Amino acid sequence: MPESEAIERAKSGDGQCFEALYTMHKRRVYSLCLRMTGNTAEAEDLTQEAFLQLYRKIATFRGESAFSTWLHRLAVNVVLMHLRKKGLPEVSLQETLEPAEEDGPKKDFGSQDQVLAGSIDRVNLERAIESLPPGYRIIFVLHDIEGYEHNEIAEMMGCSIGNSKSQLHKARMKLRDLLKITRAERAASKR
Amino acid sequence: MKTGHELIVENGQESIAAAAHNAGRHIQMNCAEFQRDLPLIIDTGGTEHQEAHLRTCAVCRDLVSDLRYIAEQAKLLIPMLEPSPKVWEGIEEKLKSEGLVKPVRARNT
Repeated sequence: MPESEAIERAKSGDGQCFEALYTMHKRRVYSLCLRMTGNTAEAEDLTQEAFLQLYRKIATFRGESAFSTWLHRLAVNVVLMHLRKKGLPEVSLQETLEPAEEDGPKKDFGSQDQVLAGSIDRVNLERAIESLPPGYRIIFVLHDIEGYEHNEIAEMMGCSIGNSKSQLHKARMKLRDLLKITRAERAASKR
Repeated sequence: MKTGHELIVENGQESIAAAAHNAGRHIQMNCAEFQRDLPLIIDTGGTEHQEAHLRTCAVCRDLVSDLRYIAEQAKLLIPMLEPSPKVWEGIEEKLKSEGLVKPVRARNT
């Protein structure tokens, strides 16, 4: 069944069509929730909540954007609301205003310090993202994986565009460090 | 014509690199100056002076290469994982209990 037909029928309460929509979009919504929270149980609860909200709100979908874009934004809002309730820091303004020592210029670490190109696989990158601090992780997921622009992230998170840019940069720098550590550990275990 | 040094003295906001450029001279940018603008360089590319620094500094060159690589690889991450069947079961149960939906055929995601 085409997605557009499933949407129209789900709007009038057709459970099977709603299930079809769930089947089409569950991986993307779940992956978003998992990457943003870094926790399987929370990600499953949030996926459930996102689809429940979808069912309640689907009648308001007017087709002004793609359905997947609309659903995705709904899911992001569900996750952000959850994180706010938990009191987790999303974006720390203080961190931006007071650069940490690690923000200083990077220096040469010696000949072991080779570029990452060609040495990252999907599993290692996913693991490194998972171990980022929550504030960094959320911005990185929204911008670099999900493709949101800084102005959209700033609006969703209630922070400034500059803050979003700053956190993204710190997230990428932190990921670089984490991936280099992973590579070094892997090389050491082969010796 | 004013020298680059005079420009810096006259306008404290002006960077050394910009002053040197205006005066037609080339002063090598250092790593700290380069990395200050790193987010912009990663997203939109560097200026002539920043590119000149990259040609002579392996540390900054590797840094830019890594950060661009990470951003590129992140875009390639596709949603591979599937939620467990209990997620759909929970949705179905909730919708039924709220009387929102007609019962649907049970199916393992």
